[in-house]
Amino acid sequence: METKTVIDYKSPLGGSIRIIKQTFAAHNAKPGKRIAFLAGLHGDELEGVYTCFRLIRHLRELEKNRPEAFQGEINIYPAANPQALGSASRLAPFFGTDMNRLFGVENPDSPPALSTHELLADIKSCSDLAVDFHAGNLHLKELPQIRIIEGFDKKLIPLARHCNVDLIWVHPMSPVFDSTLGFNLNRSKIPTLVIEAGVCLRLDADFGDQVFRGMLYLLQQTGILTPDPATGTVIENPLVVNSSQIAMINANQPGLFVKHAELGQRVIAGDKLGEVLDPIQGNVLEEVVSPLTGLLFTLREIPITYAGAALARIASEDAGMR
Amino acid sequence: MKEKILTLPSPFGDSITLFKNVWDGGKMLDTLSIVGGLHGNQINGLYVASRLTQFLNAVWEEREKAYRIKGKIQIFPVVNLQALQAGTRFWSFDGLDFDMAFPGNENGELNEKICHTLINHTADSTYGIVLSTGTIHYEDFPHIRIYRPDRSLKKIARSLDFGIVREIPESPANNIQLLHQWTVRDIGSLLLVCGKADALARDHCDTLIKGIINMMVATGFISHTGEKGQKSETTFYESSDEKRIAAKQPGLFTPEARVGDTLKQGQRIGLSRDIYSGEVVEEFFAPTGGFLVTLRDYPLIYEKETVAWILMEKKSLRLWPF
Repeated sequence: METKTVIDYKSPLGGSIRIIKQTFAAHNAKPGKRIAFLAGLHGDELEGVYTCFRLIRHLRELEKNRPEAFQGEINIYPAANPQALGSASRLAPFFGTDMNRLFGVENPDSPPALSTHELLADIKSCSDLAVDFHAGNLHLKELPQIRIIEGFDKKLIPLARHCNVDLIWVHPMSPVFDSTLGFNLNRSKIPTLVIEAGVCLRLDADFGDQVFRGMLYLLQQTGILTPDPATGTVIENPLVVNSSQIAMINANQPGLFVKHAELGQRVIAGDKLGEVLDPIQGNVLEEVVSPLTGLLFTLREIPITYAGAALARIASEDAGMR
Repeated sequence: MKEKILTLPSPFGDSITLFKNVWDGGKMLDTLSIVGGLHGNQINGLYVASRLTQFLNAVWEEREKAYRIKGKIQIFPVVNLQALQAGTRFWSFDGLDFDMAFPGNENGELNEKICHTLINHTADSTYGIVLSTGTIHYEDFPHIRIYRPDRSLKKIARSLDFGIVREIPESPANNIQLLHQWTVRDIGSLLLVCGKADALARDHCDTLIKGIINMMVATGFISHTGEKGQKSETTFYESSDEKRIAAKQPGLFTPEARVGDTLKQGQRIGLSRDIYSGEVVEEFFAPTGGFLVTLRDYPLIYEKETVAWILMEKKSLRLWPF
């Protein structure tokens, strides 16, 4: 494993903000495919950081014991926004900017913008394929899933199927994606999978382990690693849905949402998912029920809700293609 | 005339209610929309909106005898109510930038609903003005920023009497900002920037108020018995006319120039010191003569951060003849 600092800017208080890349070179002089794994662009999303830990640890062992397994090159950026990770903050803390809303910006004029500029160039220089790890936002916990923007689905769905996620969600383009890493790499013809798993500021190691197994399988299926005869990998066959096959359940009332279902559960139409409570008057404001039968793949973690707040998402099993 | 535009119930207190002030003289079809308070730390916009409201109420009630309201003018003084109440740039509940959520979503989260409402109320405007301040850590001299400057928009900018207009380069990161969303809807959109966050710069605000009233007269939204609204000499700057001065070393920055200064080439703008030794680590000089439009206000500075923006002197001033 070769460690390289790809971004470095100094703090006035001493020390530097450094983005590190760990590279596992191909065993042969002429490498096959090259892949990049990146985590922690949002400093409060930790499942991907853990998955990168598992990858680095596993690959270091593999490099020692079976170096010929490396047919391609693997590049891992385990902490793409180290200052934000150290502060457990989505945004780069001193600058107040979202690193994953700065990609593709011309004439960058701040350290986070310069970092995204250089990071994008570095990933492009060493990748034929990329995986960007994210978690749910502050409020919602997500079952491991891959989100694909319409138009990139033909190329990405076959790759996404190798990743041991529960769901592949093909959704329409929105302007919010214009300045993200995933969109900019895909637009540059580097197929990039955006994986969402877990919730901000928490770590669900089971999710991280699930995705780790998927990443190993992806590495084998793309020929970057040769299969390990000792440890065969069995992966989940994901549900593949588009936005019309997903029920979004939002709160009609503000209050305290108490869940009555668990993430990953197969719910039946009419099942109770939770209640919205009025803690001041002691009333149950709303009983939240599933409008369809399917996979509960998003569930609210932060109980405080305003009207319109997302409470859950369910993928219809009827329409999805296993 | 104060009108409620949105009421959203809150789980633990008073409803969140947003207002606009609207005056319609009924003599023209055009609408001018003015928006402040998109971020919770931008106080200048609140002040400008409230003083303009005071003025327009006086005109409407015929206490300002020389003026008459002819068109429709609407002012939205507060958008990000929750962040303003908290005294922070973003609302901690979601930690999101309000000005990265347009055009919003009627059925979405609270911020999306508010952005959707604002777009709905302003979509048929002829002109839109966003009141803003310098970004965090910077002070800005009052100036105008616009996308895609055409003859008509330049004319409006000139009537605002600020003297300085900067073109905003297209960037994917700006696509979900209010100003951009207005621009793509063919609304003549202008960002008025002055001062710094978390502070009220009354002198700068007075410049804005005077300019906006002049613009209202020049465009016919209000009439004046003796004036038609002056159009001042205005210089238009493209990105290539701007010079960014960045820190090569981190440190504690102290300025020696002030925003609004006309700098000579080689003039010292400030210096930075090492925090631990107090020694000067870097001096900053104007690389070119020009106008100091943006200057760092916050002393701690990272390597590669911006110290200042200078609008370069032009060999022949490009004034706009109308």
